[in-house]
Amino acid sequence: MIETQNLTKTFDKFTAVERLTLDVQAGEIFAFLGPNGAGKTTTMRMLACLVAPTSGQASVAGLRVGQDDDAIRARIGILTEAPGLYEKLNAVQNLDFFARLYGLDAAQREKQIKRYLEILGLWERRAEPVGNFSKGMKQKLSIARALLHEPQVVFLDEPTSALDPESAKVVRDFIAALKGEGRTIFLCTHNLDEADRLADHIGVIKKRLIQVDTPENLRRRLYGQRVLFRVREITDAQMDALEGLAFARDVQRNGAALSIALDDPPNMTPLVVNALVAAGAALQEVRQERATLEEVYLDLMGQENTAQ
Amino acid sequence: MNLSHVTAVLRREMQEIVKSRGLLLAIFLPPFFITLIPLIAVAILGRVLESESGGDAGDFAQIVQLMPELRTWSVGEVAMFVILQQFLTFFLMMPLIISLSIAAQSIVGEKQNKSLEPLLATPIKTGELLFAKGLAAMLPAVLATWAAFIIFIVVGRFLIASERVFFALLDPKWLIAMLVLAPLLSLLSVNIAVVLSARVNDTRAVQQIGGFVVLPIVLLGVAQTTGFILLNALTFVIGAILIGVIDLLILQLGVRLFQREKILTQWK
Repeated sequence: MIETQNLTKTFDKFTAVERLTLDVQAGEIFAFLGPNGAGKTTTMRMLACLVAPTSGQASVAGLRVGQDDDAIRARIGILTEAPGLYEKLNAVQNLDFFARLYGLDAAQREKQIKRYLEILGLWERRAEPVGNFSKGMKQKLSIARALLHEPQVVFLDEPTSALDPESAKVVRDFIAALKGEGRTIFLCTHNLDEADRLADHIGVIKKRLIQVDTPENLRRRLYGQRVLFRVREITDAQMDALEGLAFARDVQRNGAALSIALDDPPNMTPLVVNALVAAGAALQEVRQERATLEEVYLDLMGQENTAQ
Repeated sequence: MNLSHVTAVLRREMQEIVKSRGLLLAIFLPPFFITLIPLIAVAILGRVLESESGGDAGDFAQIVQLMPELRTWSVGEVAMFVILQQFLTFFLMMPLIISLSIAAQSIVGEKQNKSLEPLLATPIKTGELLFAKGLAAMLPAVLATWAAFIIFIVVGRFLIASERVFFALLDPKWLIAMLVLAPLLSLLSVNIAVVLSARVNDTRAVQQIGGFVVLPIVLLGVAQTTGFILLNALTFVIGAILIGVIDLLILQLGVRLFQREKILTQWK
């Protein structure tokens, strides 16, 4: 649904995005992670035909960026970093304006505006000037604006930034529901937890694409797979027993917990449990460890900084 | 050009104007004062000056020299004629001031509000957007100017006792001024607002910098009153051509600046 080949954008001598190659499948949520100035928004603007690539190619919904810009803009919805609403106008007037620009007729406009204001819980406040809305309400209204014309591809730039936890949850749930409708969602975010919860694939960018994979594979690729064994007390006999297991790598001891890297946790974990119990361990807990996406992200950024 | 895009923007701009007290004042105050003051002047001074019908028209020698047909007029009539010509020149300030206020709010206001990016992400073309915004700034300005001029003429008919002075108001030059110059001056303000918007982040700054555009009109009025120049149909036609050319040049610059990428990445 979204494809880029060596997409590059430079402003004078500054390179904002360098040789970006991506393939986002239809119906998935693709999270784009990166620090400030990494090129996330510039990439989104290129894909939304707001700025022209300096070199490389891109297509959105089967249409070529740079050739079919008007058609692409008609098929995408975009939530920009700032809500950018007309504060003196009410919610209906704001949405009606954009619905007209997207070519919806009067009946469609009425239906779509009502639909999204109801879904996002703004219908009762529809006649109030948007200037009176809270940040969360404005963000929800901006999301409604991006969806009025039922776009195939939705670009969301920091959709939950500056929202309180309750509003952020409403927005996240709504994004998950959008995926259920078969839309492709390109999500630029700083929020690692959000990317972890929502995304099918994550691309980590810092001017160029550093890694792209599923959240789970990113963890696995960087951290391997680890299993935690908590015992009442760790003894030398237990440590000796573990040394005898060649497949149990990188044994880390933390209080009464042992974290062990295993290549095949489903088959190897019972063998470790047997060895520990045979060595007199009183096992209290056994569970697979998951590195947080934050750890993965920081590790990738650290590697990138070192490489530079 | 997609007219539904243009009308959508125009409609939204009008909705915002109606809800903005500042813009409503900017639209209604200049016509109110520019129309009211000469009418009061005519109502008060007219009668005083008419009583001096036997005076010496030599007091306005320089003007009479430029317009020999005034030689047969009384001092009062010439004085009233001069006052009215002066104020009619000020009518040309209206399209400049009103358009500048609306265009500044329309473009810089959107920039401040960060609403340009979602707008530019829609299928609207930048030419359509610029045209609609220009129209939204020009229409109220030109209509207000015309309405003020018509009110001035209608009320003036009752306040100006001298037929000769009144019919001088219906000189074709004022028709040229209203029908041709006023829209061109209004467009000039819009163009200036677009160009300034690329560099300025504050509506008031655009109005202050752009406000200098009214100076030539003021100078024109003063020059006419003091008899340095004579404004007639020919000078207005020449003025219209000149302003039309300036409009085209600034419009070209404005169109070059009003491009999606420039707005999002270069406008400061």
